[in-house]
Amino acid sequence: MTVTALSDPVLGELRQILGDEHVLTGKADRLNRARVPAPFPVHRWAERLPDLVVMPGSTEEVAEVLKLANRLRVPVVPRDGGTGLTDGAVPLRGGILVDVKRLNHIKDLDLDNRTCTVGTGINALKLNERLAVHDLIYPDDPASYPCSLVGGRIGTSGWSLIGSRYGHTRDLVLSFDHVLPSGQVIHVGDGIGRKITKSSSGYQLKHLFMGHQGTLGIATEATLKLFPKPEAEFSPFWAFSDYADAYRCVGLLARAGVATFAGAVLFDEWKVAYLRRDDEAYIPQPSSVKALVCAALYGYADEVEAGGRRLMRIARDAGARYLGDEISQGDWAARHDRYATPLHGRTKSGQVAPMSWHCEDASINYTNLPSVRLAWHEIADRLRRESDVFDDWGMFAYTNGATGADYLTEIDIGIWEQRLDDRTWAAWVRAKRDLAAVALAHGGSISACHGSCREGEVDLVPQELGGGFEVMLQIKRALDPHNIMNPGKYLLDQAYGAPS
Amino acid sequence: MPDADKRFAEEWRDAAYNCFSSGHKFCREVCPVMQVTRNESWSPTAFHANVVAMEKGELEISDVAADYVNCTGCGACELRCPNSLFTGDFYRFRTRTVDLVKAARALAVSQDVHQDAWRRWNAETDERSHEPVTEAAGQERVRDWAEGLELAIGGETILFVDCEAAFHRTSVPRAVARMLNLAGYKFGLMNEQWCCGGPAAEMGYEEQARRFARHNLDDWRASGVRRVLVLDPHDYITFTEDYPKYFGDDYDIEIVLVVELLAELVREGRLTPHIPVERSVTYHDPCRLNKRKGVWREPRELLRAIPGLTFTDVDRVTQWSYCSGGGGGLPIEKPELTARISASRIDKAAELGVDTLVSACPWSERPLSEAGRARSIDVVDLFELLATSLGVAP
Repeated sequence: MTVTALSDPVLGELRQILGDEHVLTGKADRLNRARVPAPFPVHRWAERLPDLVVMPGSTEEVAEVLKLANRLRVPVVPRDGGTGLTDGAVPLRGGILVDVKRLNHIKDLDLDNRTCTVGTGINALKLNERLAVHDLIYPDDPASYPCSLVGGRIGTSGWSLIGSRYGHTRDLVLSFDHVLPSGQVIHVGDGIGRKITKSSSGYQLKHLFMGHQGTLGIATEATLKLFPKPEAEFSPFWAFSDYADAYRCVGLLARAGVATFAGAVLFDEWKVAYLRRDDEAYIPQPSSVKALVCAALYGYADEVEAGGRRLMRIARDAGARYLGDEISQGDWAARHDRYATPLHGRTKSGQVAPMSWHCEDASINYTNLPSVRLAWHEIADRLRRESDVFDDWGMFAYTNGATGADYLTEIDIGIWEQRLDDRTWAAWVRAKRDLAAVALAHGGSISACHGSCREGEVDLVPQELGGGFEVMLQIKRALDPHNIMNPGKYLLDQAYGAPS
Repeated sequence: MPDADKRFAEEWRDAAYNCFSSGHKFCREVCPVMQVTRNESWSPTAFHANVVAMEKGELEISDVAADYVNCTGCGACELRCPNSLFTGDFYRFRTRTVDLVKAARALAVSQDVHQDAWRRWNAETDERSHEPVTEAAGQERVRDWAEGLELAIGGETILFVDCEAAFHRTSVPRAVARMLNLAGYKFGLMNEQWCCGGPAAEMGYEEQARRFARHNLDDWRASGVRRVLVLDPHDYITFTEDYPKYFGDDYDIEIVLVVELLAELVREGRLTPHIPVERSVTYHDPCRLNKRKGVWREPRELLRAIPGLTFTDVDRVTQWSYCSGGGGGLPIEKPELTARISASRIDKAAELGVDTLVSACPWSERPLSEAGRARSIDVVDLFELLATSLGVAP
């Protein structure tokens, strides 16, 4: 770096571009933008501070900031909701943090083409409050639905709980304005307008500029696909006396081809045991209940009723016990809020300890779910033997799509973060690498949802991508010759000569 | 790190970690300040994370005191916090961001870190025994609003009128007094009423707040007061949360919320609204009633009892993310921010096509009225409206 971001000329130029009010240099301003919910030892918090924060109000301002940074070789880290679990929004080399939350306006609502165009700092729940008066929804529905923002969903290529019905972020975002590391603004997506859903003209660049974790620039304005607000929702929960039956049942449900099917979730026996042990919101089931399955259907009432009857029959024939309407409705509603529920876990001796929830995900084919589950619990068990700061909170598997091919597979680990020291952090990083290795050994992907650029898992990205990783390096070098965009992520320093 | 910082960090550490470690920020999009500024440094999450940073020696209160100004104390963040949502029902746990903000402000003041406008405001309040909400606000004018109503002084039940209503929104207490008289409900006025002390406590001037509280309690005791009627939601918080904390078991005064009392009088048939009020209205849930005390039924009950009204309701949960911007001392230190929040609230009313926004909190009505003028929306108090329908317009 030839200059630091805080040198006077940089600060002066940024203030000119954005106005004083939108250039923040205070320690608290920087500390509060140096974190995401993924665990990190709190004693090392200050290692990840940006030098300053800017809050642009337009695409043009973002472009000016990037031009300046590119000219002066200052690192830039984009941050939207900061709810990601792979540290995408966390600065590793200081620099300018571009916080795009002010870009939260609805620019256009096109009822005839069923699209809307929004600033990428908008939250989907807030957007849906506005769309509800038109009986429309934007159905991008992650666990962070109340707080994640559209730009972060693009930057991480997010996953949606009801993606089996409506698709995931990459399907729902039609196009967007994107500021390249040089400061040049391009429009990415099908067609010359904003609202084309399918073209076969030229390279399909949209996917390239989604999921790059801020290493290829910043999306500022997006056009989104809208759907009729579902008239009905049905979300049956079923209980099973063993995992094998539940696993068989979830496969049958996902493969049934019911058009209103929005997703299914499988809870393994560790998850049920954990809920029984420590989740205040869990409605106790008899101890014979070892695994759970739920499904969700969205659509018009007549469609949902017919599809629901079919799934109920399939489940009954597979030996499931329906848990009733009250639990079904309540628990599904709660799925959206089951993000940070438990305030505690347990040490090995059973002592309650204040812990927070951390979730590791992978994409795994249906046929490999049982063996991945065993291998992952073994890793969690090793962590637990190593230290009382870790607790195994069980696994979920969520359908990725309507055909039942693969699942977002998640293991939840309770971590006593106040006690996370260098030794336990090293154990955690090792465990993350091992979890990722299991996913790859089973033909899966390191992540369905979060991305894979954190310490531990990131080491295996070249293995997952194979020859594609070299292409990734070439693209990075071509688009960001000075490595200013989110440097240090995804091993992309290798594009500039760092050893692999 | 100064000792006081350390004690503060120790007291709030576990609560702060509960938020910090989850870091999920459901609070952010319901926070009125965050919604208009989009500045994460002023989010409930940041208010907790700062405590962790203080404990680690990364920050001192002087670094962040100005950030803690940016809170109206509405409590939306506490309701939306996943930690409250899921353990609340079972263990009555609630994330306590509002208390944390108050404690941080008090810590700042205790270390002589002041916000200019707050310091002036509290100094003037101390001089006048009342908040300087108008030029005239002062001890000798505290009962001017009641002129001609011939209300008694003292008695077992008194009506406590907050500073904003007593000196600025005088039609509100007049409406309340006339309705209670109409129902034959016996009450008097306080002997020597001072400001409740709540605003000083909210801005961090705790010693002053306690001194004012002591005066009021002593005055009630001296004149045999057993029951205090409260028309202002902010006073209601002060009398039911701060006073018990100051006085412990000694505090045996019954606090009655006027909106609940009036709803009861209407239910019992002792008051029957009968004069049609031809307005198209929506209701603004005052934060301290809806979000902090769970009081949202009675105001709607009263509105539905008024003939002639066209009432377009917005449910209480949607209104978790609404606020007038008038609370927590924000309009004193950052009036421009209050104006943005109230303009955003008025926008939501305007979308409903109503001509009137009804509130039940005097402190919300000044900023909302100012914002309403720009959109041709009238802001009236529920009690004014009810009194009109009862034929005892203020």
